[in-house]
Amino acid sequence: MNYKIFTHAALKLNFIKQNIVSTQAQFFFIASALMFVFKIFFGTPDTFILILLLDVIIAASIFFLLLALIKFENSRTAAPLSLVLNVGILLAIMFFILVFSDYLLPGIFDNINLKLNNPGLVYNIVSFIYVMLMIGFISFFLITLRHFFFLNQRKNVKVYFNTMLVFFILASLSINFFSDEELSFLSTTFFAVSVLLMIFNSIRISWIAFLSKKEKTYLLLLSFVITILFIVNILNSAEGNIYSQILTAFSPSLRQFNQMIMIYGSIYFVFLFFTTLFHLPTAEAYDRKAQEVTSLQYFSKLITEVLDFNDLAETVTDITQKLSGSKASWIIWKNGVKPSTLAAKNIGFIESDKLTAQILERISFENLTSTKTFSLKERVVNNTSENLFSVVSVSPIKTRGETQGILVAAKGQDQIFTQDDLSAIETFSDYASVAIENSRLLEESIEKERLEKELDVAREIQRKILPSDVPKYPALDIASVFIPAFEVGGDYYDFFKISETKLGFVIADVSGKGISAAFIMAEVKGIFESLSKTMERPKEILIKANDILKETLDSKSFVSAAYGYFDFKENKLIFARAGHCPLFLLRGADSKQIRPSGLGLGLSSKEYFEQTLEEYSIDLMKDDTIVLYTDGVTEAKNERLEDFGDKHFLNVLQANVLLNAEELSNKIIKEITVFSSSHDQYDDITLVIFKWQQ
Amino acid sequence: MADFSTSIRESGEVSIIDLKGFLDAHTAPTLENNFAQLIKDSKFKIVVNFEDLAYISSAGLGVFMAFIENIRDNKGDIKLTNMSDKVFNIFDLLGFPLLYEIYKNEQEAINKFSGS
Repeated sequence: MNYKIFTHAALKLNFIKQNIVSTQAQFFFIASALMFVFKIFFGTPDTFILILLLDVIIAASIFFLLLALIKFENSRTAAPLSLVLNVGILLAIMFFILVFSDYLLPGIFDNINLKLNNPGLVYNIVSFIYVMLMIGFISFFLITLRHFFFLNQRKNVKVYFNTMLVFFILASLSINFFSDEELSFLSTTFFAVSVLLMIFNSIRISWIAFLSKKEKTYLLLLSFVITILFIVNILNSAEGNIYSQILTAFSPSLRQFNQMIMIYGSIYFVFLFFTTLFHLPTAEAYDRKAQEVTSLQYFSKLITEVLDFNDLAETVTDITQKLSGSKASWIIWKNGVKPSTLAAKNIGFIESDKLTAQILERISFENLTSTKTFSLKERVVNNTSENLFSVVSVSPIKTRGETQGILVAAKGQDQIFTQDDLSAIETFSDYASVAIENSRLLEESIEKERLEKELDVAREIQRKILPSDVPKYPALDIASVFIPAFEVGGDYYDFFKISETKLGFVIADVSGKGISAAFIMAEVKGIFESLSKTMERPKEILIKANDILKETLDSKSFVSAAYGYFDFKENKLIFARAGHCPLFLLRGADSKQIRPSGLGLGLSSKEYFEQTLEEYSIDLMKDDTIVLYTDGVTEAKNERLEDFGDKHFLNVLQANVLLNAEELSNKIIKEITVFSSSHDQYDDITLVIFKWQQ
Repeated sequence: MADFSTSIRESGEVSIIDLKGFLDAHTAPTLENNFAQLIKDSKFKIVVNFEDLAYISSAGLGVFMAFIENIRDNKGDIKLTNMSDKVFNIFDLLGFPLLYEIYKNEQEAINKFSGS
């Protein structure tokens, strides 16, 4: 809706604007109407005042038409060549009018001379139309010539051009008033000065320099035809023929002005013709220079395209083809064992693969160190592709000092690679190598960043899954430590308050790492949290968990877990182990590893899992220490890649058994840190310590 | 990261995969490809020799689980031999000895195949 209103307003605005533009046109129409009225009333005037008045009216109408045309021209940007063509077309039309008016008009008016002296209404209308037509033509020529003149962008352009126009007017007007013998030299002088100014204003035609060779040839032809047409039209409007008579009868000054414009046109186009002619031999060199300038822009384009490797390859072939004037270009990329076409310009992949095979017979990636050319084999019958190309240039694309690709440019039978072409390709292939190498590096770093982002997500999931603190019980001193590895390892532990007298716990380790492990971890948390609310027996819970995980996990993944609960009333610990690390029980100087049988979760079917799973019960005594851990603890490695190990772990535990849970866990972590100080932590480390206080 | 490589030998009907180095999440695809290839070639009697395997991670263990069902459905088996104590301990913790036949030496495993 809003849009509609907006366009409506825009249309309105445009309408108003057009009205303003046509103010000049309105003045032109007023002046023309005045001209017509004048003719009806006064015919051919003979007093000085009337002649002057008529000329002023004509001048005014031309002036406003010129202004209107300038406005119109400024509103669109016409190419010089199309303007030249327009001039040519108008000249041709003018030519036909001039020729046919000699045949047609005398037929319409039986005695043209009589009419000229004694014009009737019909004659006045016809001659008026005629004059307006001519005014239109010469105005257009003048505007176009002015346009070309201004293209030169010399200093004081306006002054030169306007001076010339002033002399045009002086020369035209003087025809009327200084026709006496003594004063005729004045109009001759004005005319001569005008011509000199025309010549002066026609030299130094610089705008054609920017045309391509093809355009110059076209211009040469066109300017030749136009010059001829100008001259023919001048001759056709020479004194004595109808056109000249009608115009002179209307206003001698107008005719003179008309002639001057035509002369200016012919002079300008003669100069244009010769200038173009002299520019032609150097046109090709100029084209090449222009190409080099654009290729510099291409190089800068390469830099911006490193973001997308495939786009970059496309651009490289595109530029190579343009730069060397080849028919086609493509990149052969060393893709594992079999080289393939990475990008191709002006050639199909099937064809390029065929030619690639030929190229690779001649040269290998390793041997190609600089740009080379060779001709392709004799063509095979019915093989169109090889008819098209007869010679190729090959340049190496090197990344990390190794030739990874070959940039190929192919030319047809009638073409050869010049030294210029080859050096351009050689330079360009160096640039392309750098750009491609940058693109690869960028891709790698983006990939690395993506992985790091992914790991950040995994870490965040893990952080949210793990309990933020341990539950507090007078009968049980609990401490837990979790140290994440760089690549999230999939460790999980949790506590569940089953009832006032029972505390459940779980420790688990998901196979695999990273984001997939983090997601399984989240699933495992959900399973244990819900199962711990509905069931009590650790064995039951693990069997159910195995059921669920067997269904949902893929065959490669599994989870090791240990689930159990403390019974404060019965002073018991009941637990079962599903493939997880054993549990340590420290009782005074006595210590043992408790390892009931049990398969990892998700490894086997319900029946087999159930058969093999044992539940274990411990009658707890005061100061019993129970330690749960994941393999990150025992598999922490030192510089010799030796494991921290069960034995070492147990020694540390035994030596520090009198410490409370918190202190003990700190002590163990400290020992592990010292042990593996020179080696990156590869897996998550989880440690949960319980001390029975009653 | 540490290196890992495999090689496959034939002994009669039985294919033997030798493992060397560190088998973890990053190197596991190599072994996966070996199993996939053997299955494709309809070689379902497989012995895996752990003699030179220094370390196996949980992801490495997963590889054996991925193919065992398919292989057993085709009346074949994966038998594991020559494990170091450390590697055996990792298998043992998860209960693998309950799922797989694990032998002290390779010949024993091959004989089991021909015996059955």
